[in-house]
Amino acid sequence: MTAHPLALDPRTKLFLLLLANLLLFFHVHTHTEIMLVTLTLLPMLPAGRWRMALRLGATYAALVAVSCLVPADSPNPWLHLVALLAVGLRMMMPCLITGAYAFSTTKTSEFVCAMRRMRMPETIVIPCMVVIRFFPTIVQDYRQIRAAMALRGVAEGRFALVRHPMQSLEYVLVPLMMNAANVAQDLSVAALTKGLGRPGTHTSLTVIRMRPVDWLAMIVCATPLALDILGVL
Amino acid sequence: MSHVTIETDTTASIITEHVTFHYGSAAGASSSSSERPTRDALNDVSLRVSPGECVVLCGRSGCGKTSYTRLANGLIPTFFAGELTGAHHTAGIPAGSPVDAFTPIVGSVFQNPKTQYFNADTTSELAFPCENMGMPADEIRRRLAETVRRFGIEPLLNRSVFRLSGGQKQRLAVAAATMLHPPIMVLDEPTGNLDARSIDELHGMIARLKESGTTVVIAEHRLAWCRDLADRFVVFEHGRVIGDYTARDFLVLSPETIMSMGLRALDMRPYRAVVEAKRHDVTVRNAADDETGPMLRTRMLRIGYGRRRGMIDPIGRGRPKRGEFLRDVPDLTLRAGRITALMGANGTGKSTLVRTLCGLLRPIGGAILWDGKPVRAAALTRRAFLVMQDVNYQLFADSVREELMLGLDENDSEIRRRCDRLLRDLDLETLADRHPMSLSGGEKQRTAIASALMCGKELIVLDEPTSGLDRFHMRQVGLLLQRLKRAGRIVVVVTHDEELAADWCDDVIDLDPVETSSSI
Repeated sequence: MTAHPLALDPRTKLFLLLLANLLLFFHVHTHTEIMLVTLTLLPMLPAGRWRMALRLGATYAALVAVSCLVPADSPNPWLHLVALLAVGLRMMMPCLITGAYAFSTTKTSEFVCAMRRMRMPETIVIPCMVVIRFFPTIVQDYRQIRAAMALRGVAEGRFALVRHPMQSLEYVLVPLMMNAANVAQDLSVAALTKGLGRPGTHTSLTVIRMRPVDWLAMIVCATPLALDILGVL
Repeated sequence: MSHVTIETDTTASIITEHVTFHYGSAAGASSSSSERPTRDALNDVSLRVSPGECVVLCGRSGCGKTSYTRLANGLIPTFFAGELTGAHHTAGIPAGSPVDAFTPIVGSVFQNPKTQYFNADTTSELAFPCENMGMPADEIRRRLAETVRRFGIEPLLNRSVFRLSGGQKQRLAVAAATMLHPPIMVLDEPTGNLDARSIDELHGMIARLKESGTTVVIAEHRLAWCRDLADRFVVFEHGRVIGDYTARDFLVLSPETIMSMGLRALDMRPYRAVVEAKRHDVTVRNAADDETGPMLRTRMLRIGYGRRRGMIDPIGRGRPKRGEFLRDVPDLTLRAGRITALMGANGTGKSTLVRTLCGLLRPIGGAILWDGKPVRAAALTRRAFLVMQDVNYQLFADSVREELMLGLDENDSEIRRRCDRLLRDLDLETLADRHPMSLSGGEKQRTAIASALMCGKELIVLDEPTSGLDRFHMRQVGLLLQRLKRAGRIVVVVTHDEELAADWCDDVIDLDPVETSSSI
């Protein structure tokens, strides 16, 4: 159960996510952004997510290319719209990349352990656990509902959701919500009888440790942003 | 002097004296039938479970057995709020104490395997109760190893819970519930939707618990699997205890008496024999090839799903990877006006097969023939209907009548007449204006089927329609199947329920044994 020597601690992952958000907030130069995106793609490789890294990297590169290639004085308004869209999406990419990395390479128990180590109150930790637990359930439910809709011949086909958005939303949401209410009750019961609500310290079987590589990753990734804000880059 | 006895054997006993309980507002009513809330869930119940005893609580749905388990593990009256009178102690802890107080004393296992785990991976789920008790990591690891050894569940460790079968999930739930070494275990219909093999494995786990002196309380109406475990059988009806039998007295009761209590059979052997005979008949008749009337047949069908499902190894030599599934199906013939039970252990591809037959999945190889002509997946979706195990997903409208009219022209008098007739035929007339979500499980099932008939579906597939149902409700499903049969539909029932297959189905197809995609 020993971790990969280059695997990062969940707290480092959360820090990277925070960095990506700051990037958006401070509106940095494009070259700083490119540098940070490259740096945050790297930890995906030792985690075995090279395919994800490749896809996200290629998407980002394409968006950068589009936003740079469209000349600022082009007379065609449509080109400007495309460029606008590309820039908007490009700026979201760092958050997407760090988010995808954090959530696809971390077990729930590690996150929970990290949050508790950071002394977050249980009133925040427990809702977070519930949300993470709920995601896969919702995905499964959604598939079931789509199958049920196909059998009834309502909102069939790939484009039905686009053509009748409100109606489709109702067909999907009503059963989803009804089911979520039942699941929520069952989950609460299961968690309560196992002592989730107990006062006092909760321990963790999962061991998480900040290692030199974590500090290094945090410093290296924070550097471009800091330099940019200071106006060096 | 009841007070004195409570003082003396508090370690692992459950003592209930004249308890009456009734759910406040809607709490708890949502979990099963809709006809309950007005009545007392428990009515003057007095019961004693001694340390080390194994007691089976039985009775028809809504009889109060589930409520009693909730009383025993402290969920009533704190989580499921309501009015409680009388005295109840679980291992000396009085009812009304916070649920946390019961955690180290009572291990709980619930009915639905899908919603009773809280962590995404199995090891965390096992460690979860210990973590909540604040045990040091070394102690948790020690207990983990011990539990794994005790129940032989090594293969379940370090896996995503979402990828486990229902049976594996239920074994995990039992193992997790024992991590704190509780002196008492409470199980609420733990076999609700398990196949025979999973039930055997669960039986083994409970037997081991009993050997180690744990007090076990099981609420259940499938009695066959726990007949040799139980020391006592307690029969509930309308919230009251109407019978308290020692195992010896109970096991000699006639099958008719058992049935009249709304219970499932104590002895499965006669049913198994009938199922076996029906299975044999199918093979004989298919060989005779005397086919008339509309029917659905499969030829060299290969079914599956997975990441690269279109490309899964066309020669079929490689083994399917995780999250992928592939198998060949023996040629099937499904006739109109016959009820075919599709049986076989979990993981043999029953669900994948019926999803393919309904056109929700495309076959990987072979053909599906309708009246002798090959049909495409989209055409199958138009002609087939699947009643899902969780029928809640299939109800979209605001009332039963609108549910039937969905997507149809409401002003067409012919359609309106057809709708009225269907409502009458399926006993939904009085419920026509109710919201589908306010109905009981059986009523929802009938509404879904009515909507299918309204669209003129010819193939009706029901996925585990009797999981968790008592004798009475199983009979209702059986009658519904007969009605579909008389209406000339092709009826397919995916089921583990041998009683349903023996009593109500015409043909039995067993998807065992799995010949995993051997190349031809």
